[in-house]
Amino acid sequence: MSPAEPTRGGDPVGRVLTWLCTGFAMAGGLILVALTIITVISVVGRKLFSAPIAGDFELVEVGCAVAIFTFLPYCQLKGGNVIVDFFTLRVPASAQRSLDALWSLVYAGIAALVAWRMLFGGIDMYRFGEQTMVLGMPRWWGFVPIVVAVALLAIVALYTAWRTMVPARDPAP
Amino acid sequence: MSGVEVGLVMMVVMLALIALRMPIGVAMLLVGMVGYATLNSSGALINLLKTSAYWRFSSYDLSVVPLFLLMGQFATKAGMSKALFRAAYTWLGHRRGGIAMAAVGGCAGFGAICGSSLATAATMAQVALPELRRFNYSGALATGCLAAGGTLGILIPPSVILVIYAILVEANIATMFLAAFIPGVLAALGYVVAIAVYVRINPAAGPAGERTTTAQRLASMVEIWPVLLIFVLVLGGIYGGVFAPTEGAAVGAAGTGLLALTHGRMRLRGIFECVYGAAEASAMIFIILFGAEMFNSFLALTQIPAVTAQLIADLELSAILVLAVILVIYLLLGCVMDSLSMILLTIPIFFPVIATLDFGLPAEDLKIWFGIIALIVVEVGLITPPVGMNVFIINSIARDVPMLETFKGVMPFLLSDIVRVVILVAFPVITLGLVRLIN
Repeated sequence: MSPAEPTRGGDPVGRVLTWLCTGFAMAGGLILVALTIITVISVVGRKLFSAPIAGDFELVEVGCAVAIFTFLPYCQLKGGNVIVDFFTLRVPASAQRSLDALWSLVYAGIAALVAWRMLFGGIDMYRFGEQTMVLGMPRWWGFVPIVVAVALLAIVALYTAWRTMVPARDPAP
Repeated sequence: MSGVEVGLVMMVVMLALIALRMPIGVAMLLVGMVGYATLNSSGALINLLKTSAYWRFSSYDLSVVPLFLLMGQFATKAGMSKALFRAAYTWLGHRRGGIAMAAVGGCAGFGAICGSSLATAATMAQVALPELRRFNYSGALATGCLAAGGTLGILIPPSVILVIYAILVEANIATMFLAAFIPGVLAALGYVVAIAVYVRINPAAGPAGERTTTAQRLASMVEIWPVLLIFVLVLGGIYGGVFAPTEGAAVGAAGTGLLALTHGRMRLRGIFECVYGAAEASAMIFIILFGAEMFNSFLALTQIPAVTAQLIADLELSAILVLAVILVIYLLLGCVMDSLSMILLTIPIFFPVIATLDFGLPAEDLKIWFGIIALIVVEVGLITPPVGMNVFIINSIARDVPMLETFKGVMPFLLSDIVRVVILVAFPVITLGLVRLIN
């Protein structure tokens, strides 16, 4: 699999969004790789030297959550969500496109709602000073990238809805 | 309207939306949210959304999923598929149909470091297809054995879907992996038998390959040691309680990553590809997981799972009959739907039903046994027409073979799957034996 093709958006908006989504996915992926390394070091340290990294599992929990949220806009841009197309195989392509665009709009709405609510979820975490048990990491830290990622998801879903209805005229080669 | 009525209406709406191409995760989210707001209140929904996604995505048990996906991505770049195929070939290649058997063996080996069926099918196809064609295997057998062999990826641990099932029914992930081991080996053997029978009836479809010497056999085994090492390290560590499944997945990802760097000559570009691949697959899975979480919060309010279980219990149907009906539903759903969505949609309703029935098994054993059987049956959906993802992916690689040929080619394997399910249902000890032995 390759990074989101910029061909989808020969338009400037598409280019910017592709750049943002790929960047987010890459950042999340690097977090994932870093967590892998931390965990291995912790396991080896615990087994061989009885010296684990304290609270490594909290890093994994929060890190994985942040990583997965950053993956969502990328997946939407690449059209990676699972659909059942069996029942609409005989429906004209234009009608299929309309349905796809409509559902992208619905998804955008849901993402916007979730982003709005999670913004307040994060503010709550900040106000009540919620922390992780061992490391005492403030929980609101995680919410910052997550809320941005979900907001980006909403924008990307709007964009894919538009692009599904109005395919780019001259896709880049 | 009562809770049950609202629930039923919403379920119908959701299935209709899914049939109308709405992404499955989005459909579950939308219906779950609307249903939750109806039965509870919109205020409660608004409040729930503040943190529900955060807590769902930051559960330590689920952290295993992106890590296993990363491990699988690295495995596809580790350059071990050729060695695995060669190793199986030296043992099986000289038999009639032997190259196809070797492809199945290679898939089984690859499945031991990769938890995804599609990745297993696609990766093994790259190395096995040219060989199968070189020995003039029929298109049906060549593509059929790879599409079916790919399903071993998910059955032989590590397996992403098994992890999710375990979380849904609150079973122990390590125990589930342990239980999947013998059924996984049986599946590979069953496929080999299917090939043997197929080429006996139709000898031209799968001629024998070249005979190899014992020295070559041993040499080929030496080459696959990194795969064995990673498998033993990850699964042994998880079974042995040395580390948690999530840590095991991290160790596995590091292992296959290292192998890809050294043996597979992965470079920066390759790392990026793996990361993007894992990103897309994780996002795809977690949006469905989040949808299922929302939908299940709503479903719990409707009382449908409890009412259904009670209804089935009152009818006093035979346990096996109910199980058979559930498995047939899975087979039918599997024709049009992917396995993860099926598990997430149905387990919250089916499992309480199964749990009230008497199969002569303790509750913990029942969870494991039903999980393995359900997993096998939903995986059959990957190779059944009209929508068989494994068939599609193999077909996209073997462009000269018509889709219909591939679907014909998977039939013997489908038969083998069904026989295996019947055996596993009839003899729960096959699934549970290893678990009992180790515990």
